[in-house]
Amino acid sequence: MKIFNFFNLDLSKQNQSKFRKIKLLICSLLLIMSFTIIGYRTISLASINKEDVSNKAYAEIENEPNLKSLRGNIYDRNNKILATTISTLSLNVNPQEILNLDQTITKLIKIFPQLKEKDLYKRLNSNKRHINLLKEISPREYVNLLNAGIEGLKIETKNKRIYPNNTLASHILGATDIDGNGIAGIEKMFDSQLQGGRDVTLSIHSGIQHIIRKLLLNQIKKFEAEGGAGIIMNAKNGEVLSSVSLPDYNANNYNSVLNEKLFNKATKGIYELGSTLKLITAAIAFESNLINENDVFDVSKPLKVSSRIINDFHPLNYAINIPEVIVHSSNIGSAKIAEKFGSSTQLKYLKSLGLLSKLSLEIPELGKPQVLIDKKVLSTMTISYGHGISITPMHLASATATIVNSGVKVNPTLIKGKIDKKNEVIISNKTSIKIKSIMRLVVSNEYGTAKKAEAPGYLIGGKTGTAEKINPSGGYSKKENIVAFTGAFPMNDPEFILTIMIDNPKGQKFSFGRRTAGWVAAPIVKKIVTRIAPILGVNPQLESSSKFSNNLLNYKIRGKNYGANL
Amino acid sequence: MIRYPSSLIFFVILFTGISLYQIKHSITKKEIELTQIKNNIKSAQSNINILKAELSYLKRPDRIEKIALEKLGLREILPTDIWNINDLVNATNILSNGENK
Repeated sequence: MKIFNFFNLDLSKQNQSKFRKIKLLICSLLLIMSFTIIGYRTISLASINKEDVSNKAYAEIENEPNLKSLRGNIYDRNNKILATTISTLSLNVNPQEILNLDQTITKLIKIFPQLKEKDLYKRLNSNKRHINLLKEISPREYVNLLNAGIEGLKIETKNKRIYPNNTLASHILGATDIDGNGIAGIEKMFDSQLQGGRDVTLSIHSGIQHIIRKLLLNQIKKFEAEGGAGIIMNAKNGEVLSSVSLPDYNANNYNSVLNEKLFNKATKGIYELGSTLKLITAAIAFESNLINENDVFDVSKPLKVSSRIINDFHPLNYAINIPEVIVHSSNIGSAKIAEKFGSSTQLKYLKSLGLLSKLSLEIPELGKPQVLIDKKVLSTMTISYGHGISITPMHLASATATIVNSGVKVNPTLIKGKIDKKNEVIISNKTSIKIKSIMRLVVSNEYGTAKKAEAPGYLIGGKTGTAEKINPSGGYSKKENIVAFTGAFPMNDPEFILTIMIDNPKGQKFSFGRRTAGWVAAPIVKKIVTRIAPILGVNPQLESSSKFSNNLLNYKIRGKNYGANL
Repeated sequence: MIRYPSSLIFFVILFTGISLYQIKHSITKKEIELTQIKNNIKSAQSNINILKAELSYLKRPDRIEKIALEKLGLREILPTDIWNINDLVNATNILSNGENK
C-alpha cells in the first residue's frame, strides 16, 4: 500500500518526512535484494550438484569404469589370467642435483649390485638433467632407496603389460606397443574394449593349450621339423580351446622376437594340406546324389590327365568304393569321384564351407586361401585330394567341424560364450553320418592310414594328409612335405575337433625313413586325445556299445590282399 | 537503536555465513578424503593385479605339470582308469585284444 501511496505523492511539496520514507523504502528494497542474492547463493553453494564440473571426484566415484584406469585383463575360459597390466617403477636421476657423487654411487651399488661403479661414475658425471638408470625396480628396492635418502633420484611409475604364462597362446594374445596400444592378436582386435578397462574372456583352455604345445613340440623335435600347428575346437559351437603355432615366442619379449616366430601358422599360414581334403570330396559326392557308397572306381592304373599322371601312395589293383577311397587314401579314386560331380559343384561346397575366403576369427592374423579356380578337369581332380588348394589349419578344423556337426556350419571363435545365431546347413545329416563312419574307419580299420592315432575308448576318427611342399621359386619339392591330420572324437557324437599340421618333418631311423602323416601326425593325435579327453569330460566308451552302433554305419573295407586273389 | 527484525536478520546472516563456511570446509575435507580413498583403491587394485599376475605365474600349466610329475608322483589318466561301470566287463577283453594287435 505504501508503494501505491508513494506514486501518488505530490513531489512539488518536497515534504521532509515523505522524503525520508522514500529513502527508507529504497534502502529496504536494496536490503531485500541483497538478502535474496545471498540466500540464493547460500543454497546453491551448499547443495552438491552431481553434474557440476567442479565436483569431478563425485562423478568419478559414481562411474565405475573411470575408477579402473588400467588396461583390461585377458582371461582364459577358466578365468586364469593370460594378460594383465601392472604398475612398475623406473629409476631416473638428475646428475645436477647430486651433492656427493662418491657417496651416491656407493649407496646405489649397495641397493643395485648389478650396476657397475665405473659405468655409474661416467653416467652421473655428465651435464644431462635426466638419466634413466634402471627401467624397472622392485617394491623392495624402492623402499631401500627411500631409506637411503639419495638426492637427485626420481622414481617414475609406468604401466606394463605382462603375460604370466610366457609362451602360452602368445600368437593369440598378441602384444601392445610402448604406449599401451594393441598391435597384434586379441590385444589389437579388442583394443578399444581393453583400453576402457574392460576384460576379455577367451575360449582358450590354458591346460589344453599347454598339452598341445608340449606334445607338438616333442614331435617336431623328434622329426626335426620346421614347425607346426595344433588346434582343438568345440565341434558344436566352434569355440577354439587351443590354437598352437610353433615355433612360438615369449609374449613378454614381443619386440625382440624374429618375424619367423611371430608368424601364426594356425590361422595365417596357408598350406596344401593334402588328402585331408578327401573328406570334403566324399561329402560333396554323397551330397550331390550323383554317387553312392556302392559305386566303385578303378584305381588299378595311374590316371593320366593332360600332362599330369595321378598316382596312389598305396596302390590297389581293383575297383574301390568311396569308403575305401578314403580309408586307403586313393588319389586316383578321389580324382575320379571329383570328375563325376565337376568343378562348379566342388567350388560351391568349398565356398559354403568357408574354404575360399578369410575366416571371421577375432584376431587380425588371418590367411586368405588360395585355390586354383580355372574350372579345368585337372584342377578339379587335384583339388579333390588337396593339391592346388592352400588353406590354413583353422580353415580345415572349421570345415571338419561343419561336416561332423550334422552338416550345420561351425564358425570358429576365440571368445567364450559367443553365440552364432545362424543355423546354416551345408550338408545333410545323412551325409554327415556317412563321413563320420568313414573317418572312424581311417583310424580303427587295419588298412586305415591313421591307425597310429587309435586311442582305445575315445573313438577317434579323422583323415591324414601328406603333401609336397610348394617351392618358393615355384613347383613342388620332392624332399619337403607338409603332413596333417584332421579329425574328431568321440566319433559317435563328435564333441571336439583336432587338427594337426607339421611342416617339413624329416624321415627318422625309428620311422624307417618315413615322414608321412601316418607316421608323424597320427601318433601325436593318440597322445593328445589320451591326455585331454579326461580334462574335457569325454569318458571312454566301447565301440560295441549300442550308442555307437546306432550312430554310425559299418562299411566293409577290403585290403591289398583282396586284389591278389582277383 | 537496533530493532528486533534487524537483529534477527543479522543473526540469520551470521548463522548462514558460518554454516556456509563449515559446509565448504567439510566438502573440501571430504574431497581430500575421497582423493585419498581413490588413491588407496588404485594402489590396492594395482597390488591385486600384481598378486593375480604372480598367482597366474605360479599356476602356469608347465609348472603344475612338473610339480605333479616330480613331487607328487602323479601320472596321466589312462582310459582304463575311467571306464563306465556297464562297459567294465567287456572293456578288459577289448583292450587286451587291442594291445595284442
